[in-house]
Amino acid sequence: MDRSQISVGRATLGSAVRSRRKSRSQRQSMRSVFGVASRLGLTPALTTQRLNTSRKPYKSQTITEKINPEHLALLVKRQWKLSYVTPLYQFRHTQMTTYARRLSAFIAAEKQKGLAVEVGELQDTFKVCFSVLQGMSEAKDDPEAILIQVKSRPMFAKQDEPQKTVWSGWLACVDGNPEYLNSLPTDFTCLPLFGSNGAEGLSSLVKSWFQINFDCCFGPLDIGETSLEWLAALWTNCNGKSNIQSLKMHWTIPAVHALHVEYTVSADDAWALWCSIRGRSLEESNGTEEEGCIDIEEVKSFMQGLMGHFYRHFRLDLSTGNLNQISTALGSATLNDRIKVSTSIYLISTLRLLTELALLRLPI
Amino acid sequence: MAKLVSLSDSDLSASSEESVSSRIHRSLRLAEQEKRKNEAEKPFVLALKYFSEVEVGTPVVGNDEFENHLAQVEKVAFSKGLSPEAVSVMLEFAMSLRMGSSPCARVLKCLIPDSVVPQEAVFRAVVWLSVGKIPISTQVLFIKWVLTVFDMIDAKDKLRAIYGFIFSFITDENLVCDSNAFKLLGKAGRQPYLLHLLSLYKVFCPELVTLSIPSRMRSGFKNHISPWKSALMALQKRGSLQVASSISLNFTLKNKTGSRKRRHRHLELPELSRVTNTGVNTEQTSSRKLVPLVQIQSFEQLLKNMHQIELPAQMGSLLGSRLALQYLDCVQDESALLRLNFWLGYALHEEFLFCTDGGAGQNAEEALQFLNKLLSAQQFLQEGFHSSDAFLYKFLNIWDGSLLRPQILGLLSNIPVIPSSRECQNEKLSCGLIECLNNMLLKWLTWHSVYALEDDLDISLHSHTSINITLSGFKDSVMDLVCFVGRLASVGLQLEGCHSLLLSFVLDFYETVCDTFLKFGLPLVVMPPPGVFYPAMFATDPVSLDRLAYIMNRYKMNLTSAKSQEKVTSHAFHISRQTYQEFNNYLAFMVNCLWNSSMRCPETDIQLSEELLAKSGVPQPWMRFDLIHHPAFMMYAVEFHQKCWPGRKDMDLNSIKQAKPWSWYLEFLFTQGFGGLKDFFQNNISRPGQELDSAQSKKQPLVS
Repeated sequence: MDRSQISVGRATLGSAVRSRRKSRSQRQSMRSVFGVASRLGLTPALTTQRLNTSRKPYKSQTITEKINPEHLALLVKRQWKLSYVTPLYQFRHTQMTTYARRLSAFIAAEKQKGLAVEVGELQDTFKVCFSVLQGMSEAKDDPEAILIQVKSRPMFAKQDEPQKTVWSGWLACVDGNPEYLNSLPTDFTCLPLFGSNGAEGLSSLVKSWFQINFDCCFGPLDIGETSLEWLAALWTNCNGKSNIQSLKMHWTIPAVHALHVEYTVSADDAWALWCSIRGRSLEESNGTEEEGCIDIEEVKSFMQGLMGHFYRHFRLDLSTGNLNQISTALGSATLNDRIKVSTSIYLISTLRLLTELALLRLPI
Repeated sequence: MAKLVSLSDSDLSASSEESVSSRIHRSLRLAEQEKRKNEAEKPFVLALKYFSEVEVGTPVVGNDEFENHLAQVEKVAFSKGLSPEAVSVMLEFAMSLRMGSSPCARVLKCLIPDSVVPQEAVFRAVVWLSVGKIPISTQVLFIKWVLTVFDMIDAKDKLRAIYGFIFSFITDENLVCDSNAFKLLGKAGRQPYLLHLLSLYKVFCPELVTLSIPSRMRSGFKNHISPWKSALMALQKRGSLQVASSISLNFTLKNKTGSRKRRHRHLELPELSRVTNTGVNTEQTSSRKLVPLVQIQSFEQLLKNMHQIELPAQMGSLLGSRLALQYLDCVQDESALLRLNFWLGYALHEEFLFCTDGGAGQNAEEALQFLNKLLSAQQFLQEGFHSSDAFLYKFLNIWDGSLLRPQILGLLSNIPVIPSSRECQNEKLSCGLIECLNNMLLKWLTWHSVYALEDDLDISLHSHTSINITLSGFKDSVMDLVCFVGRLASVGLQLEGCHSLLLSFVLDFYETVCDTFLKFGLPLVVMPPPGVFYPAMFATDPVSLDRLAYIMNRYKMNLTSAKSQEKVTSHAFHISRQTYQEFNNYLAFMVNCLWNSSMRCPETDIQLSEELLAKSGVPQPWMRFDLIHHPAFMMYAVEFHQKCWPGRKDMDLNSIKQAKPWSWYLEFLFTQGFGGLKDFFQNNISRPGQELDSAQSKKQPLVS
């Protein structure tokens, strides 16, 4: 690949992708003429990436038109355990059936370990489905998301009973940083966000199959406090269109005996606070006109407001503790790696935030 | 047993009277239990002894002894499983056909291992397979047994060598392997389990299995096998499928058991394995025969196959093999390097950055080995991996400086040159650096001033802190820091062409340095190096010069104060002659330049020859840096000139030097906010009354 082309891609995400070196002659020239071959067009300062400090609020989308409703039903109302994934090498969206067959054979073989030959039944018990989640992407550079389902017939089921999905998982990239995505060579597919639901054992089998076949790595994706605050604000911001019912927060205050605080704010109160921060009246914001971006400052002052209110009533400063969990009628998220989206309308925006988080976790 | 009894005997004699009786009861009870247990196992031990020693040709029919012993073994096998040693003994007995072939199958059926199966035993059995005249059905039974317990065999290195040999026995099943495709021959070939095996194989290598296989096959391998499986399951349930029982006298387990499951697995190198994902590029494989890297055993082979090497499925595996690294050194494949970098970066990040539960501490040994491996790979390749650099930039922020120090420093030394961009990035970096060092110095000095004062004339500082540091030690450290920053600033200013922003940060630093004694009570005075002094002196902006004047003035006050203290108290600190000399030189130079329009500066290292100055073609070069002609002040001089003589057409700046205008000019300058200069001149021009006689006024240098 053309060197100059690569270094252009590098500009912001800095580190992404660069060949270690090109050729011996080039290496020598690099040694003699200092810094001529700029294989590292980055300075250390640029490598420290930050979460966006401003994001677009919910835009009314007709997600049901974009995504197959059956798939959508599978994605919502379930708790997903999140991981980040390094780019997949030689992954083809056209090979779904082959992958399904291979993965089911792999699961069968792994389940079989220690039992030598008894394959027949087991291969029957686990059937894998790979499908492309058409429409679960935003930008044109996003690769299509993938849905994986492992189906099985319960132990004592009748012959004709249909198989049940015992495990499901997806890989997605929603509105990923285009510069990063474009900087990857074409034989890599970047689907940095992985969600799984089902037995841990199967999750790790699927992960190791991906690792072996596409030379990628899976690591846990902690959502983190800042992102929880973002979700709290973004979800509350939706109240104008879809009632969030209440904003529940779970805090842990470090003390001799750790103090757990469940703090529930009614939708109306949270909404009023949010509107006052956004600097507009309640009536105004119920309108449909285009909203401006939400800034991190607004998110922070929203949380400050909530904490201040709590302090006035209970004389307990929540900012000394840790926010562990956020939940509204739109979904819930925990500090570590679990998320649940309850209504489809906000699915994409949530995934966009998570994709951003996952991309930040990638080593280069 | 005997040991136990003798132990309790000694116990008995040693213990005190009161507890004796209870102790006796207890130890007796224990001994009784032990005895009973041993007796229960005794027949089994005897049985094993029988089977290991029975002579060739002993009849089976009507042999009650044999019958009893075998029943005993079967009983133990199905209840507890057989220890590795027992498995060896029984397998050897059966396969050697010492009592003919009739008990063979029966023995095989009860070979339920309780933990592992020794490879040696299987190996010997295979040897017997080819020597003895074992009936085909028994041979098949044996093979099936091996397959069932395959994962329980403790090691497989030797077995691997004889796989081909084992497979040759399977020809009995009419399975013939030809080079390109599996074909099933004969009627027996249609057996469901063979079909199933093929269907599995077809998943991985579709191009090798041409046969069409019905998509739904229920029966599959359904138990043709296992008399063993259910027994094994039962043992597993009872939880007795464990480590050896009491009869495993001399067999040591090869740490196969125990918790092999670790929580952090990201530091494990993946196995060097072939790509199974060949479906995508089958055409390529067929057109060009690729040699998997796994199969390369020597450097010679590597050279021979250089053009047709297939990279492994997981690039991380390369790190563990020298040969693979050799190849990596030559490979031009960007994707391959990227894969390796992704994996490496992932492992480093997970281990050292994302691990919240102190992962690095938990498996320090593993981390150490991992980094050593990485280092040796980098050393071998003579350069660092991109992902390890990226990792280091982040890791250095949280590194405590001691965790795996040699390794981290080793990695650091591999960071490549970062080409400097011609934008303002570099100046910003230098400024940030100087600012950071200034803050550090300030913190050090504040720390000192707080604790030293409390300690009543700073002899030692150790009482308030865990760091035991003496005053002189502290002074040395500060001195080192100041000198270091001095060198850094000199170089920085030179590189950045005396950038005024950087100069400002450097002067900030010296504002801290010049006041160490008066402001922070630290008896230390360090002068700026010429690389800092002269750029500030010749700076084109008046602010820098004003600040330099301020700094020089503060130096003077610190020095005079130190000197007066030296005279009063005997234990005051001593300032070296050289420091005074440096200060005097700088001061003389400044006064000469700005005030006396002369560039004479005696006794300094820097001397400009007259010829060189003449070559510059500048008329009267010694006048170019006085308060009127200095580039930083020229603007003010012009403005003053216009205000002073508004009517004049031709401007003669030298006319300002006359007595009256000169004092007005100074007044004018001081009203422009140059407080530093004001103080400087007021303190250093010794005879204010004779200011007008500018050419003659000269500062008396400090006496050293």
